[in-house]
Amino acid sequence: MKILLAEDETDLAEVIKAMLEHSSYTVDAVENGALAVEHARSNAYDLIILDIMMPVMTGLEAVKEIRAHGILTPVLFLSAKAEVDDRINGLDAGADDYLTKPFAMGELLARVRAMTRRRADYSPRVITLHEVSLDTEKAELSCKNTISLAAKEIRLMELFMNNPDLEFTTDDLLERFWHDEKADSDAVWMYISFLRNKLKSVGAPLAIIGEEGGSYCLRKASLI
Amino acid sequence: MLEYHNMENIYGNYEKTLHTIAIDLVDKINGYANTYMDSCGDKLFEHLSWRIKSPESMADKCAKDGLPLNIHSALKEVHDAIGLRIVCLFLDDIHKNIEQLRTLPGTRVVREKDFISSAKPNGYRSYHMILAVENEIPDVDGNTPGEYFAEIQLRTIAMDTWAALEHELKYKKDIHHPELISEELKRCAGELASCDVSLQTIRELIRGK
Repeated sequence: MKILLAEDETDLAEVIKAMLEHSSYTVDAVENGALAVEHARSNAYDLIILDIMMPVMTGLEAVKEIRAHGILTPVLFLSAKAEVDDRINGLDAGADDYLTKPFAMGELLARVRAMTRRRADYSPRVITLHEVSLDTEKAELSCKNTISLAAKEIRLMELFMNNPDLEFTTDDLLERFWHDEKADSDAVWMYISFLRNKLKSVGAPLAIIGEEGGSYCLRKASLI
Repeated sequence: MLEYHNMENIYGNYEKTLHTIAIDLVDKINGYANTYMDSCGDKLFEHLSWRIKSPESMADKCAKDGLPLNIHSALKEVHDAIGLRIVCLFLDDIHKNIEQLRTLPGTRVVREKDFISSAKPNGYRSYHMILAVENEIPDVDGNTPGEYFAEIQLRTIAMDTWAALEHELKYKKDIHHPELISEELKRCAGELASCDVSLQTIRELIRGK
């Protein structure tokens, strides 16, 4: 699980990062809202933690920007202010939960666990990109045709369609979707091959590019 | 079909000719498949079947299409008096057969319909080709050599199984929950199509393509 943390208080940021990493999360830490938006746009995170009061761009502005870019990753606010208005504004801007400073590390970790566990609830049932739609409930990929997808194919396709033009390494995909120790890059390559041919078979104007064992990325076919 | 009952047979005395032409076409297809098998050891198709449309069905079809019930309609306007079905193991084999059929001596392609790339709304998938087949037997219009037509359907075993069930559904009356059955049948078509693509992909991976 990959988490983006935006917090301008260096000491606090370091503590949170260490705690999360200790709980086996991968953490990218930045110190303002503008950098948070930039990171959120170029990486696929499972959770974003934003401080409200930050220089350059506030957490409130950052979450609006992030949502405006169509990024649906759950956002948890951290705020020194306990005012009701702040919480309301934050949640209305597109955040999913908040925590008031000072907070207990145990509570932060519990909220992170709860929010990443509920990840599926945040995802829309049907994802559409360039006339290609993925119905995660019916397990179907459609464009000129409709074809069923296996469970792992759906999760992979969902990641690619939610993050077009983003590169995912073989190791990254292995870590996200293969939890048995026997799986290796061959398994990833097989599923990439399945998806490539299935995109072709529905006449999708999308293609997954990348070499065996390398990084993969979903592109509009006309851009390749 | 009142008009039809007054006729002996909509094919007149061409029914035997249709058999001769169908068998000739089947021989040609088996011929290229054998050559392919000798060259690389693979079967180009799992099986090949054929039929001559019954004179009754042909008369019904002509009537439905608003055509006069005569030999000309049956042999020249309707193109599936002769029907062949090529059932393949893998998706790629379908395309290999299409390539062979496009250059089959003594024939020319009249029309192709790709219901694999664009499945019918009910989920039906197959590749259809209409071939004009040349034969020394003069045709109903008096041309020598004569020109006859045959429809060839190409599909995988999975598509064939699906089509068999869909055919049964079409002719069965008093089905409970027909909408649910159609919807589930369509879902199955999507699953089978997915399996066909997966099997093709695995074969490519095994063969290191």
